[in-house]
Order: sequence, then structure tokens, then C-alpha cells
Amino acid sequence: MSDRTAYLFLLPALVLYLAFVALPIAQVVGYSFFDWDNGIIGDYVGLSNFARLGGDNVFWAALGHNAIWVVLTLAFPLTAGLILSAILAERNRHVIRWLSAIYFIPRTIPLVVAGIIWGWIYNPIFGLLNYLLESVGLGGWGGAWLAQPDTALLSLNVVGAWTFFGFCVVIYLAAIQSIDPSLYEAAEIDGAGWGRKFRDITVPMLRNSTLFLGLYAAIEAMRFFDLVWVTTQGGPGYATEVLTTHVYKTFFLVGDFGYAATLSVVLLAIVLAISSISFFVLRAK
Amino acid sequence: MKVILAIAAGLTAASAATAETVVTQWDQFAQSGISAAGPAMDELIATCQPSLGGATVLRTIAPSIGIRDSYRLAVSAGKTPDLAYTWPAASVLAGYARVGALAPLDDYYAQYGWDHINDFYRGRNSHDGHLYALPMEQDLMGVYYNKALFAEHGLAVPTTYDEFKAAAERFKEAGIIPVSFGNRDRWPATNTFSLILGLTAGLEAEKAVLFGDEPWTNPAFKQAAENFQAWANDGYFPRGFNGVGYDEANALFLSGKAAMTITGTWVLQDMIRGADSIDLGVFMLPPMADGVPAGTMWGEGSQWQLAASADPAVRDAAAAYLDCLTSDESRKVWVEKGHTVPIGTTPDELAAWGADPVVQKFFAAGLGTPDSNFYDLHTTLPESVTQVLYPELQRLVGGDATADEFLAAMQVAWETAIANGERWLP
Amino acid sequence: MSRPARLIQTVILILFAAYALAPVYLVVLASMRSEADLFAGPLALPWPINIENFRRVWQDSGFSSYFFNSVKISAAVTVLVLLSAPLAGFAFAKMRFAGREALFALFLAGLVVPAPSVIVALYGNLQTLGLIDNQIGVILPQAALLMPFSVFMMRTVMQDVPDELIEASTMDGASLFGTFVRIVVPIARPGLMSLTLIVFLFSWQEYLLPLVVLQTETLKPITVGAASLQGRYGVDYGGIAAAGLIAFAPVVALFLIMQRSFVRGLSAGAVK
Repeated sequence: MSDRTAYLFLLPALVLYLAFVALPIAQVVGYSFFDWDNGIIGDYVGLSNFARLGGDNVFWAALGHNAIWVVLTLAFPLTAGLILSAILAERNRHVIRWLSAIYFIPRTIPLVVAGIIWGWIYNPIFGLLNYLLESVGLGGWGGAWLAQPDTALLSLNVVGAWTFFGFCVVIYLAAIQSIDPSLYEAAEIDGAGWGRKFRDITVPMLRNSTLFLGLYAAIEAMRFFDLVWVTTQGGPGYATEVLTTHVYKTFFLVGDFGYAATLSVVLLAIVLAISSISFFVLRAK
Repeated sequence: MKVILAIAAGLTAASAATAETVVTQWDQFAQSGISAAGPAMDELIATCQPSLGGATVLRTIAPSIGIRDSYRLAVSAGKTPDLAYTWPAASVLAGYARVGALAPLDDYYAQYGWDHINDFYRGRNSHDGHLYALPMEQDLMGVYYNKALFAEHGLAVPTTYDEFKAAAERFKEAGIIPVSFGNRDRWPATNTFSLILGLTAGLEAEKAVLFGDEPWTNPAFKQAAENFQAWANDGYFPRGFNGVGYDEANALFLSGKAAMTITGTWVLQDMIRGADSIDLGVFMLPPMADGVPAGTMWGEGSQWQLAASADPAVRDAAAAYLDCLTSDESRKVWVEKGHTVPIGTTPDELAAWGADPVVQKFFAAGLGTPDSNFYDLHTTLPESVTQVLYPELQRLVGGDATADEFLAAMQVAWETAIANGERWLP
Repeated sequence: MSRPARLIQTVILILFAAYALAPVYLVVLASMRSEADLFAGPLALPWPINIENFRRVWQDSGFSSYFFNSVKISAAVTVLVLLSAPLAGFAFAKMRFAGREALFALFLAGLVVPAPSVIVALYGNLQTLGLIDNQIGVILPQAALLMPFSVFMMRTVMQDVPDELIEASTMDGASLFGTFVRIVVPIARPGLMSLTLIVFLFSWQEYLLPLVVLQTETLKPITVGAASLQGRYGVDYGGIAAAGLIAFAPVVALFLIMQRSFVRGLSAGAVK
């Protein structure tokens, strides 16, 4: 096999990838060194766009929200997925098939549509959630959900979790089914209950899946855009601003291409740093 | 007579256009929502087609909600539509003019004698001494109210701010939402605040900040910000207003669950069509501070503009077509079929043309105070400042920022915009 | 396990099933409500069931056009990926060549690239190529953005193809490409099926790229159309719900029918 044949095999994928992903990344890095006005390029300004990051409170708020999103995702959908898959694994074939399909359905719904549906559920006046709370006499617990700074990000994360926990179940389930059953049998002979088997066998054996899902969740937490854009556009105030919405506003609404490029570079650097660290951690195992 | 001459002039001017000439037009005149003058636009396209001198109009209806973003994208993609009717006016217009995306219209203004556009509007549609757009719709802000609810609670139309507050308190006690308001879309609060600002600080104080050196952090502006916040704190607005859409707030009002809603003439079409179940009235918000004269926020939210990239023959045809769209006959069609009142239309004309009583009332009141009417921040601030105004107003009215914090944030954005040469000056 | 413990576990399983399904159920209800009465309460059963909302959205609001645009764009992206990713995956799995590790790392890095971060430059490039407001301007970048995942997945799939079969075929004088087409593709068919479904699903869900690239209403896909309804329909929740249902029902149905294939594809990266 000659190298040339291999390169020919790679060519179509490589050309597309270089032209529409790699090249734009290089350009974005370049753009970040220039001044722009309404989409027209101006002077070379060195690192002055990057110097603006320090004083840009919206940037730091957005970064904080991305970080909170990672933590929330690890805390809720990942944990839920782990527990659900451990329970589910002991049920019969049909239950496994049906329930894992049901859990996974939200993942197939476009995030834009998920945002519209949940935006309606959370609507302070016309929404289902407040309606339900009122009909069971808990009207006082009702709120404006996406419109209050203290609940907005959390409420939005419930939607994110809704689309993600089924994916966790599917990944964990596949891994659990490949655990050697004799491990559980041995533990049962020792008199271990469900909780101990879960803690001593299932959780440790699923470490790689957990690492994978953790990495996946972290990357997604940095990348997500659709959900915020169709529900809150980063509001109220800056309560749900994330890096991607900050990039979008700076680019499309303000027209400051240079600073938008700078924010993109930061976003890329963070994502690549997370993934290379995890890559080495995964490889070390 | 003027019309006949204008059309004749238009025909000569457009003589260069041929059957192959196509004018791409983007407008917001849908059948419902904001600026829902669709029926009027449909009729006028047919009427004005001959003035194109053989060219044809290729029309795209881009609903108001999206046209601003779509237009920005089209301009940066070098695909500026030949003719567009977009928003939010002066500030963004200056931005497009500055980068050379728009064609200057000075010659067309002279040629067609568009004298109904007075100096105020000319100023708002100019950049660097040249005219870049033809405004059409006259926008005013006022209070839409439910007459039956006012009568039921023994309330007269408020003529002072204290009476307005008393009415709001009365409705609140009765379990009726005093003022329907929804700010999920982020821009509605800019209009509400502009109205409060003008009625609290007055036109001269606005000018001192917008066109002079006075900072945002001045006592009059602070009072206005505190007034707006007080409305929210006092329960004038529905629960969770920062999570309620503009359309939803209007629907809430039209359903009779709220006594008033404070917004502009741009939604008259929807209000009149939706007012089957309530008795719709309108009044002007009274001055909110001593010594401030009665007035309202006015201006044009949108305007017709021509692409610099368009072929000269296309531009000529489009200008002749615009002259037809804004002719005396056409103004009548806008009023009758679209509940839209073009600039230059007088209250007498509205009465003579049999405009809806609500339309007549609104414009008689709003046009009666031309010397004290004031600016709309949304259509006057540069886009970079608007993008700060949106979230900061959500915070202010949501109680998450004080008036001082709000004004300090605005001042920072304002100084940056001025330093970048983005400020619009009349 | 004790009965109460098992019962609690069952309750947990059911609660999460409700969490997954309740919003979907709600949308179905709202979409069939005849006169979408905003104030009647969202749980009122729609009766008589009617499909007026669907007719209105489909015919009057241009959803038929949004829908077929989505089909067209997603299908084109899928074909493009299918024509390129399996070849690259095969090269990485079975061939030795200079720069293999470096090139694979290059693709791997692309696995995490956020679309919003490249859009700034991509937009200008598409403009230069004259692909703004053109569906090709969505299809090419989208296929490219999905390429890293697809190549990665195909490499995993191709690694399972026995070397002996490939060697036997090339010994018989077949070219490597011929071997790929005649021997490898049939063996990898389940993997290719998974790739097809996942790429189709992902491009169906894409929002940002078509949002910024396409300006003409008749070119836009269903995600952009659905999002624009919020402003256009105001408080017509019946219409919005019907539109939402049109936007996700086909992919949900596709998933339920082809569940096994989907799951195999999605977990390919995780388990290996």
C-alpha cells in the first residue's frame, strides 16, 4: 500500500474539513488582531482586542455560567443516568428497550424546538408549570422561572438535562451490560445488597464511561447556543449569558468582528484544553 | 396637482428602467403583528407598479421581528436588498451609511420635492450631511386602555401623573393587572423607558445627553430610572414580565385581564383588529415631573432605504416607486387599509378619511405637542449601546440593578460608542 | 432485593419516563386543540380533535417548504459525509502512511470545535464563494463540522473488519478501492447505517448555520422556521405546537424505528 493511495482515501474528508473548519479557525485567529467597523476590516491592532477581555464583565459572567452549566450537568443528568441505568439493567429485555427509548426521545428533538416547548412550560402567565402549581394549591411557589436571575440558569439547565440524561442512560447501559456478571454473583454470595453492589462494582467499572460523558458534557456546556437563544437570549440582564451568545451578539448585533473573533479564540482555546487534558487522562487509564 | 407632476417626473426619471429591471424589496408589512399593514402594501404595490417604468418589484415580507437581523446579515454579505423598509431607524441607518452600504437620496429628495419630511425627520435620516432614507410611518407612544374597566371602577382618563398612579392602585386592589407589559423580547422596555424618560426629564435634558456632553448619570435621568423601577416594584406590571413576550402582553390586555398597556402606534393594526371583546381607548401619559410639558415619544421606527450597490436604473425606478408609495392618494390607503399613518398626515385628514376613532384620537393628541415631543432611545442610540440598554433595562425593571448602576453602565457604553465615532447627531 | 426497594426503583424509572414524555405529550395536546384558548388551561383535553392547526401551519405559514428544505439539506449532508468519512476512516484504521498520527489528531481536534466560534470567518468565506443565501452554503460547512465525529466513528467501525479479508482480496489483484467497495462496505453496513442516521439527525437539528446563511424564506429549514414562529404567531400556541410537532415527529419516529442502529452509533465512541 502506497502513501498515495491512503492520501487519496483521505482527500474528500480532508478537503471539506480543511476548507470549512480548519481554515476558518486560522482566519478567526487572524481577525482577532484587527479593528472592524460594521463588518469592514480596519487597522492591525495587535493584542488590544484581547486586552478588552479583562474589563468585559459580560465575558466573565458568561464564562461563569458555562462553568456552572458543567457542574450542574455533572450533578444531575449524569448522576440520574448512572442510577437509572443501574436499575434498568436488572429488568427484563422489553422494559430495558422501551424505557431507554423513552428516555432518549428528548435527545432527538432539535434544541430549538425543545427551547420553544419549555419556554412555554415556564411562561409566567400562560405556562403549564405555574398552572400546575396553582391547581395543587402551591401557587405561591410559582415564579417567572426563566425571567428571574436566581432561577433562570437552573431552569434552563433542567431543559438541558432533559435532552441529555437519556443519552447518559444509553451509554451507561451499554457499559453495564459488558460487566462480567460473576462479579455481581460473587458479591451476592458475600451478602452485598443493591446499594453496595452499585457502589463497589457498578460505579468503579463504569469509570471510563463516566469520564467520556463528563468530557462530552463539559464540551457541550461550552458549545451550546440554540437553547439559550430561543428562550432568553442571555437574559434577564446577563443571567443566562454564555460565551456563544456573547460571540453571536458581538458579531451579528454589534458588528464588532474583531472582538467577536477574540471571544471565539478564547472559546476554542478552552474547549481544546479541556479535551486534550481529558484525552491524556483517558489514555493513561 | 403636485401628485400628477410627481408621477410625471417619476415616469421620466424611471425611463431608463426596462422590463428586465427588478427591484428587490424587503418590507415588514405582514398581516398580523407589528407594522401589520399588509393589506395596504398589497394594494399599493399594484397601484405603484406603473411608476416603476417597466421594472418589477420582487417582494420579500420579512416580519418585523427578524428583518433587523436579516438586513444586517445581508449587508455584511454584500447582498443588500435594493429597497428595504427596516428598523430601528436613525442609529443603525447612520452605521450603514458610514460603511457605504446605502445610497444617498439628496437628489431624489430635491427631484420629487419630499417636503412633507420636516427637518426633524430629515435629521434622523441623515448622516454626514446627506439624506440616506425616506421615513414613512409616523410612530407615537401612548396608553391603550380598556374603557369598560375604567368605567366599572369609576375612573376617568388620568390627566395628571397622580391620577394615573391612583388608577393603577385602584386596579391593583381589584385584582386587575394595571399595565400589561412583557419584556422577554428585550426591546419593549426601551420604548416604555423612553416615554418615562421624556415625561420625567423633558426634551432639553435628553438633548443635552444625546447630542451634548451631559452624562447619563444626571439627576433627571436618575429620577426617570427610579420611576420605571417603581412601577415594577409597585406591582403595576404582570408577574414575571421579563419572561412575557410582547405579543403575549398585548393579548393579555385584549383579553380584558389588564386595564392598560403602554406601547406605540406600530401595533394599532393588531389592537383594532383584536378589540372585538373590549372597548378600546387611548390616552397620552401625563407629565411625570413638575415643569415638564405634555408630550410623547415620537419618530419613525422604520424607513425606506436604497442599496448603494443597486444599479442606477434600479435606484431611479425605486425612487419613483417610493414617491408613489408616499403620495397623497397612497397615504389615504395606508390609513384606510393599514391603520398606519404616514408622516405629513394631519388629524383633519384622518377625520376626513374616516380613520378608526382610536387612530384619530391617538394622532390628534400626539401631534398636538410637536415642540415637546421627545426621542425614542431604541431608534436613536447606536447598536452597541442598544445591546447594553437591553440587558440593563431588564435588570433595572427586574429589580436587579439600582438606578445608579443602570445609568453608570449606560454611561460606559455611551463613552465607548462616542470614542468609536458611532454617535448619531442630527 | 426487598419488595419496597424494588417498588421505589420502579417509581424512579416511571418518574423519569414522565419527565421525558410530559413535554411531548403537552405539545401533542396543544397542537390538536381546536380553538387554542389561551386561558382555558393547558391541560384541557382537546375535543373534538382537529387538525386545523396542522393545515394552517403547513399551508399558510410555509411549513411544507421548511420541512422539505430540511429533508433536502439533511439528505445532502448525509450523502456528502457517507461519500467521504468511510474512506477516511478506513485509511486511518487499516493503512500505514506518513503523517497518520498527526492527521488523525487534526481530525480529533475538530471533534470539539463549537460552530459559533468559526461562524465569524465562515460567513465571510461563504460570501466570497457566493454561497450566502444558498443551501449549498449550509450543506458544505455542516458536513465539514460533522466530519470529525464521522471519521472517528468510521475508524472504529473499520477496525473491526478482519485484515485477512482485505488481504485476500488484494492478493487476488483487486485494487484497494475495489476491495473497499466490494468487501469492506458490505461488512461495515451496520456501522454505515448508524452513521447515516446520526448525521441525518444532527443536521436536522442544526439551527445556527442555516439561521445566518439563509435569508430567503423559501430556502430555510424547519428549525429556523419554528424559531421564527414565536414572533410571528404571537400567542397562537396551537399553531406553534403543531409546528413543533412537524419539526420533531419525523426524527422521533425514525429513532424509534431504528433505535438499535442509533444507539450503536452513539455509543461507538464511548465504549471503545
